[in-house]
Amino acid sequence: MAEYYDKLLRLCGFEDNEINEERPRIEKAFERLGIGPEDMESSEEWVRHNHDVTLQGVRKLLGAWLKELIDVVLAKDEGKKVVYFGFPAILGPGLILSASSEDVLVTAPDMVLDHTMGQIFNKLTPILEAGEANGLPPGHALCSLWQAKIGGIAKGMIPVPDFALASSYYCDMGSKADDLVTALYGVPVAYIDGVMDSHWGEYPNYLPERVHYLGAQINQALKMAEEVLDIEIVPDAWEKAQKDSRPFRDKLVRLVELMKADPVPVSITELEPMETFSSSSTGRGIQEGIKAMDILIREMEIRVREGIGVSEKGAPRVMLRAGHTSDPRITRLAEEAGLAVPLTFILGSWGGVRVKPKGNYNTPGEIMADYEMSGGYYHGTEAQIKFYEKAAELMKLDGFIATYIYNCRPVATISHPQKKYLEEKTGLPVLSLEIDNFDSRAYSAASLRTKVETFAEMLKAKKAAKA
Amino acid sequence: MKALEKLTAHLKTRLTDVRKAKEQGQKVIGYPAGGFFPEELALACDAIPISFIQAGDNKALKDAGAYLCRWFDPFWRSQIGYLTSGKDPYYMIADLIVVPITDNHIRAFSNTVGYYTPERASFVFGVPHVKDNLGLEYYLQGIKRLKTKIEEFTGVEITETRLKQAIELCNRERELFREISLMRKSDHVVVDSKDFVALHHGSFLADKTVMVEILESFLKELKETPPLPKDGPRILLTGSTLARGDSKVPDIIDSAGGVIVMEEFAEGIRPYWNKVTVNGDLMAELAQSYFMDRVCPGWFRPGTGRLDFLIQLAKDYKAAAVVWYQLMYRESYKVESYFFPDRLKKETGLPLLIVESEYDAMETGPLTTRIETFIETIRR
Repeated sequence: MAEYYDKLLRLCGFEDNEINEERPRIEKAFERLGIGPEDMESSEEWVRHNHDVTLQGVRKLLGAWLKELIDVVLAKDEGKKVVYFGFPAILGPGLILSASSEDVLVTAPDMVLDHTMGQIFNKLTPILEAGEANGLPPGHALCSLWQAKIGGIAKGMIPVPDFALASSYYCDMGSKADDLVTALYGVPVAYIDGVMDSHWGEYPNYLPERVHYLGAQINQALKMAEEVLDIEIVPDAWEKAQKDSRPFRDKLVRLVELMKADPVPVSITELEPMETFSSSSTGRGIQEGIKAMDILIREMEIRVREGIGVSEKGAPRVMLRAGHTSDPRITRLAEEAGLAVPLTFILGSWGGVRVKPKGNYNTPGEIMADYEMSGGYYHGTEAQIKFYEKAAELMKLDGFIATYIYNCRPVATISHPQKKYLEEKTGLPVLSLEIDNFDSRAYSAASLRTKVETFAEMLKAKKAAKA
Repeated sequence: MKALEKLTAHLKTRLTDVRKAKEQGQKVIGYPAGGFFPEELALACDAIPISFIQAGDNKALKDAGAYLCRWFDPFWRSQIGYLTSGKDPYYMIADLIVVPITDNHIRAFSNTVGYYTPERASFVFGVPHVKDNLGLEYYLQGIKRLKTKIEEFTGVEITETRLKQAIELCNRERELFREISLMRKSDHVVVDSKDFVALHHGSFLADKTVMVEILESFLKELKETPPLPKDGPRILLTGSTLARGDSKVPDIIDSAGGVIVMEEFAEGIRPYWNKVTVNGDLMAELAQSYFMDRVCPGWFRPGTGRLDFLIQLAKDYKAAAVVWYQLMYRESYKVESYFFPDRLKKETGLPLLIVESEYDAMETGPLTTRIETFIETIRR
């Protein structure tokens, strides 16, 4: 029998048989999340307004996030051991744990809440407010992803984890907020520590000590996970994890190729829910996401063949750092202003600019650490900015909308150097734009629009003058 | 106190003295005041260590605004402001800038040094956030690279003898600070916190041998001086950074009748509780002392070592209350400030007041009201 949520779930790519099979789980999860019939009309409108639902791949991607949400919410009820990690993250340790036991769910619940309670139900604000009331108050530039995570736990929407993997190699806030979770709920934490101690000019080189240290920390965290979760990491877990995640990377490469087309075939808003799986999910979300990518790629190929795009042919091309995780209206701003956005940092770093690890390491931890150092994101500020420089050539860019996340210190370090560096090295204009990538209350689309539109007009005039 | 007068006189001519030393070939090594740079390595090369310790003036933040957004700890933005504006000569005198990278606030400073002032020679090394053998080994590797760098830079080899002498000199300084600090456990107030902090701040700039003499004189004078006529509530003041020039909160506590008997800060107060052992592998001993044995700052993970230490300090120094002074946007301290007060209350029964600053003159009024009210409450 049809239920109030069927229409919305179909809109989000669920098949009828999937809805029927999952009905009890969906209802239980929705009840815990405070989602009822009264939310359906506004949610459908919100999804239709913000996403191109004519693309089946986009609908499936949204569905993949919903499936991950249901799994997270019900994990404890279903006897799973729950492991949370912070975003962004080196996904490898989570993938290894997932590959080792079906009884363990490893995820970044804040990203799940953002993509579902934000992007689908537009009900993230009460969760953020709960985070603010439980240790992460507003007005201090604290991470809004963490506010979502703490808020979700405090409201009983997502379970208290059994174990946490802290991304101590990148983020001070995340690790300290893991301390908060320990203080409030007694959750054991493995701090995967690293030090971003590159000197300016060092990238793409890095010291082997950094690989050894970060690698050893990853290996140590996995050992601790075995003890805390009472599981055994199976010998082929790393191979299996790589095998499971490789299709994601391979497909991203193809997808980035398609985004080189003029006009750009899809909005970057539609790719955001996909690219963020790369460091958010190790379970059903990413697996369903991979399937959705197949569909989306086929749809994009058709559009490219037929010259269909979301921006005008010849529109100035800019790169955004990342799409907004909870409010697609912000991601869409540049396109609404007449710009084409073929690339984001995440999309490019996984599927565009190829990097080659330097060493010949044997342990999973060191192999991961080597890969991440060469990739640059966890190397340092300079490496991140150099990535933008490479992207300009890769995607034939006309400029950059160089966003920085005000309440994420590792990203905010880039605020001023990126503009100076890129303008000097590429000669392209750079709009430095302060945002909150996870919460649009203070940095709304309306408040950012004037800056983006002005920049877009300037780029258009510049391009027209060249022609 | 005559010792303090001597310190003032020494600092008055310090820049001139350092310039003269530079003319005679000595190198100056500048470093931020977080306590992770072993000054011994500079001293063992006949180099002059000078710490970046100034902050508290909002103008420096305005200068920093050209290089970084505002959402960083104002102490570190101040360091960027002073470094780039050239307004404080201590920031311009260093031949080599050494940055031990701890958290992302310091990384922002390090980026500025590397990208915006490439003409200044610099060296960075990392300080892990976790106290274990892996972290110790990483820190040791970092200071070994630093040793090589300083040797190359100064042209002086750091021999065992030279390093041992430098460690012994620094140990003496730590020992004296510790001895002075321990006197504050007494029921009578024997040391004014302002003087103690002034000695620390002075020690970041002063010649080490002169500083040791000053501390010895200070200690001698203390032993000969009657207790101070102060009987207000005893306050443990803690936070991330107590910079030279940032006396707003201590001054307000003092004016309100509170008596600061202990300052626990990661930056601005020199770690003085432990000495470096001079037997065995001296580099390993430096790492042990500077990384493993020191009280961890709030950005260590977990930060429980520091919180345990605070509780112990509160008991040992018979504090009547704790004032938690955090700088805006230093997230590690902000997050800890949510769950620590309950623990403190449970284990000691003490109240805790959280105050914050962004080095803005506008804060003085609200800070005064809050601190005065807090101290008034404790008195009752």
